[in-house]
Amino acid sequence: MSEEIEFLDACDTASRIAAKDISSVEVTEAAIRRAEQLQPVLNAFISLEAEAALDAARAVDNRIANGEPVGSLAGVPLAHKDMYYREGKVTTCGSKIRKDFVADHTATVLRRLEGAGALYLGGLNMSEFAVGPIGNNVHYGDCRNPWNTAHAPGGSSSGSGASVAARIVYGALGSDTGGSIRIPSAMSGVVGLKPTQTRVSRNGLMPLSFSFDCGGPLTRTVRDASRIFDVIAGHDPKDPTSSQRPLELCDVACEQTVEGLKIGIPTTYYFEDVDAPVSHLVDEACKVFRNLGAELVEAEVPDHEEMNLIWASALSAEAATIHRKWLIERPEDYGGMVRRRIEFGLYQPATRYLEALTLRDGFLRDYCAKAFRDCDLLLTPTMPITAPRLSDVDVGDSEEMPALVLRISKNTRPISYLGLPALSVPCGFTSGGLPTAFQLIGRPFDEARLCRAGHVYQNATDWHVKVPEIAA
Amino acid sequence: MGEITGDFVARLASVWHRLIIPKGDEETLAEMLAPMDAAGERVARRVGFDMEPSDFDATLLDLARRRDD
Repeated sequence: MSEEIEFLDACDTASRIAAKDISSVEVTEAAIRRAEQLQPVLNAFISLEAEAALDAARAVDNRIANGEPVGSLAGVPLAHKDMYYREGKVTTCGSKIRKDFVADHTATVLRRLEGAGALYLGGLNMSEFAVGPIGNNVHYGDCRNPWNTAHAPGGSSSGSGASVAARIVYGALGSDTGGSIRIPSAMSGVVGLKPTQTRVSRNGLMPLSFSFDCGGPLTRTVRDASRIFDVIAGHDPKDPTSSQRPLELCDVACEQTVEGLKIGIPTTYYFEDVDAPVSHLVDEACKVFRNLGAELVEAEVPDHEEMNLIWASALSAEAATIHRKWLIERPEDYGGMVRRRIEFGLYQPATRYLEALTLRDGFLRDYCAKAFRDCDLLLTPTMPITAPRLSDVDVGDSEEMPALVLRISKNTRPISYLGLPALSVPCGFTSGGLPTAFQLIGRPFDEARLCRAGHVYQNATDWHVKVPEIAA
Repeated sequence: MGEITGDFVARLASVWHRLIIPKGDEETLAEMLAPMDAAGERVARRVGFDMEPSDFDATLLDLARRRDD
């Protein structure tokens, strides 16, 4: 029975708990067992809150037994990147500097998940202060890729990708400022949804860059991502920057077909410098969409070079503003590369920073007018490569590191600058057994269409039900 | 025009931020900054008199409304 429980997705698990086929306590005990077994191998957790999760599971089971209504994620164990604040609890942000930081409030998205009945199993490993797409961490140890533990899991939401891929938890929140949901999703073979900027409240989310930070789910299936998104998205008075636009439910959109949907394949940038096995698998995914009735068309996209550079300029200026005190007083408490990647924001002129933000509007209008002229959404590789070996990237201060970081995040960074929604979906494995993924990019607030396409793809394929050997 | 050099970055750090950069880092930081500065300079002339960063939020909504229509 427990084996079966562990391989369900969050939606099926919630349904079976609500129907009393299985109990939340059974599900949670299995998740805890796997978390403990795999921790020495994957190092996915920074903290595990087993007893509190079991107490919450018992409460859900009691409510169901008493015939009380429960939420759409009732009794389902989740865990989150250790940067979502919880009142009275430590949130490390993957850092030495915040290792004892106790939050005085709880993140809105965690309150919403709790309201839907989801359980909190613990805080997940992450890149220090959410800086870096590899997923390594000098303070808490490197998180490892469940498909091959010699490889990186992707970052910065490293534990989120690894714990979902290893079937420990049924979903996890990550955060994305330049690819930190989509990159670990792609490297670890799970689904990742980066919502439109302003769609999800950032209240209680550790900031890296307030203009680009975006919370979102990493999950086993697209419909799980849809369900979690539907719970966490929407206006929050505690985050005045969150959008008041009414929410289009993704869970409902998953019931539709892709017939007649126009999918744009960019003719420049996204398919350049892509490793051959990745390119092949993404081409195969395109064929699946075509067979499902979608129309694939070529899409022209504007030049990305300037966008990428001014995005980095603005991000670093915001990060450096937040970190300036510690950069001066406690520089030795940062990992070397993390410190430098934040520090160079100290040397950007204020005018340069404001130009980058002021021009964002124009870049967005140009991009949407051109890229979506003949299509509803874009399809690209999420990453041009698969997960690199940890030994190849554990080079801290080497000169190759900045180039590798830029290559890994090549296809995700511009979308963060533009604030557009994007969904990463696994689409197969290389001969070496490493996952590959495609990225669907939508117009502003078009998450539902992305989820609809991703879900239909998963209905026609079985990449998402494959599990790493260590989890089988 | 001057260039962004390690010495320049070290001086900014010391004057603006009262920060002494670890030895060797100033050159790396200068190399990171130079292409961003060049890109920023290229696009800066596109900034119009009436433009401001919050236009971006309005555009997100406007583009979504157009899609709805």
